Amino acid sequence: MEERADTPHIVISHVTKRYVTAQRGELLALRDVSFEAGRGEFISIVGPSGCGKSTLLYIVAGLLEASGGSVTVDGRPIDGPSPDRGVVLQNFSIFPWRRVADNVVYGPQMRGVPKAERRRLARKYLELVGLDDFADYYPRELSGGMKQRVAIAQMLACNPSTFLMDEPFGALDALTREVLQDQLLQLWERDRKTVLFVTHSIDEAVLLSDRVVIMGTKPGRVKQIVPINLPRPRQLAEIRAHPDFSTLRNFIWASIREESLEAA
Amino acid sequence: MKPQGTTGIAGRIVPGEARPFSPALMRAVRAVLRYYPVALIFVLWEICSRLGFLDPIFVPALSEVLKTLYEELFVTHELLVHMGFSFARAGIGFALAATVGITVGIFMGRFRPVENFVDPLISALFPTPKLAIFPLMMVFLGIGDASKIALIFLGCFFPIVISTYTGVKNVDKYFIWNARTKGANHRQVLWTVVFPAAMPFVFAGLRVATSTAFLLIVASELIAANEGLGYLIIYAQRTFNPTLMFSGVLMVACMGFIVDRLLLALGRWLFAWQDKNGF
Repeated sequence: MEERADTPHIVISHVTKRYVTAQRGELLALRDVSFEAGRGEFISIVGPSGCGKSTLLYIVAGLLEASGGSVTVDGRPIDGPSPDRGVVLQNFSIFPWRRVADNVVYGPQMRGVPKAERRRLARKYLELVGLDDFADYYPRELSGGMKQRVAIAQMLACNPSTFLMDEPFGALDALTREVLQDQLLQLWERDRKTVLFVTHSIDEAVLLSDRVVIMGTKPGRVKQIVPINLPRPRQLAEIRAHPDFSTLRNFIWASIREESLEAA
Repeated sequence: MKPQGTTGIAGRIVPGEARPFSPALMRAVRAVLRYYPVALIFVLWEICSRLGFLDPIFVPALSEVLKTLYEELFVTHELLVHMGFSFARAGIGFALAATVGITVGIFMGRFRPVENFVDPLISALFPTPKLAIFPLMMVFLGIGDASKIALIFLGCFFPIVISTYTGVKNVDKYFIWNARTKGANHRQVLWTVVFPAAMPFVFAGLRVATSTAFLLIVASELIAANEGLGYLIIYAQRTFNPTLMFSGVLMVACMGFIVDRLLLALGRWLFAWQDKNGF
């Protein structure tokens, strides 16, 4: 934590989000959420379902508007979505009508990068996620894990300074999940981008993160922020065997459980 | 994963060299087998005529009908001329309906005020049989091409606009979100996400509209025309020429069948990306 830069990369301060619903009137999804992410920091957000962790991520992405408070990136308040804040959504949101390579370079295509350069970029990022043989496939021909790798490559091709990931591995089987966690970890060690990672897996949060933000529900708020002082660079197997790993996991688990019981 | 090469069961049992018949012949045989119910009706028709069960004044033999059809098509070219008229009217009306229908459908799906304005109009006009308005159209537009094109336009417009609107409304929010986080502006979202995602719906609407177009063109030509397949059929009926009448009917059926099959093939090609495509 000491090496964090003086100016935080992302500052979330006093963010609230209210929804007005026809049936239940006003719903407070987020109340006074504040925390900061240093440049190159990996932060996971965990919490019981309905705690607004995805909502918070979408606000940082610029897809939803906060009802109060502010989010700044590099000191500037956000104004809508930007390719600089890369997003991977939980459901496979890559475009089924585009072949894999065309999906990967969607961002570059939108900003007018010429075709030859796009082809080079597609190759580069497909190689990075290990899908170079699948450039001409349609997403329906891929497995769930491969689709999510395409989504990650699609984000990387925009060269964002921040990764915002909403349960990116949530729909995958345990084995595939582990492979992708490992890939993401390597990618992060290499480029040290700032990551906000929403997950419902406590293991995943501890394995990957520098800090874990635990959110409470009704209304959604930050309950606790837990620093994960496990050694870097990390190997998944080594970290699992580390004595602090289970302590941290049990601590976070208890904290969320307490919250879920209160809410239930 | 995509199968590489022939690994299917059939591929293993019958190696390429040992096939007793040429693939083209096999394809033809399979096509005939697929449509055997149609062939069966034709054969029954001919047999009944030969055995004298059918009065040739009302139902002439299939062979007679086919002979007339051949003459009208390839010797006198009379039928071709009528086909041309029908196709041109139906085609123009359909193309207009597709252009306007898709545009209005997209605007309805994307902009609430347009939706609020057009939706009740559609509910009121869609269930109205368009043929009921045809006499009115003839009053305004005459008995020539204009009234028929207008009729077809109206008939085709509704299925196209409704399916486009449904398609645009059903575009997954996450596709649009994903596009926006990759830097797409609103125009780019429309062209690269909304339109392709809605295309299968649009196409289904176009397919329904073609059958409407066929129905309306023949019906309107039956009512008032000096050329076209509908006119040919009613003319043959009035001049007691059942063979010619059946030729006309057979021609209309054939055209409908061919157009629908072509559309299906186009749909399969366009929507190869879909998991299960209904085309």
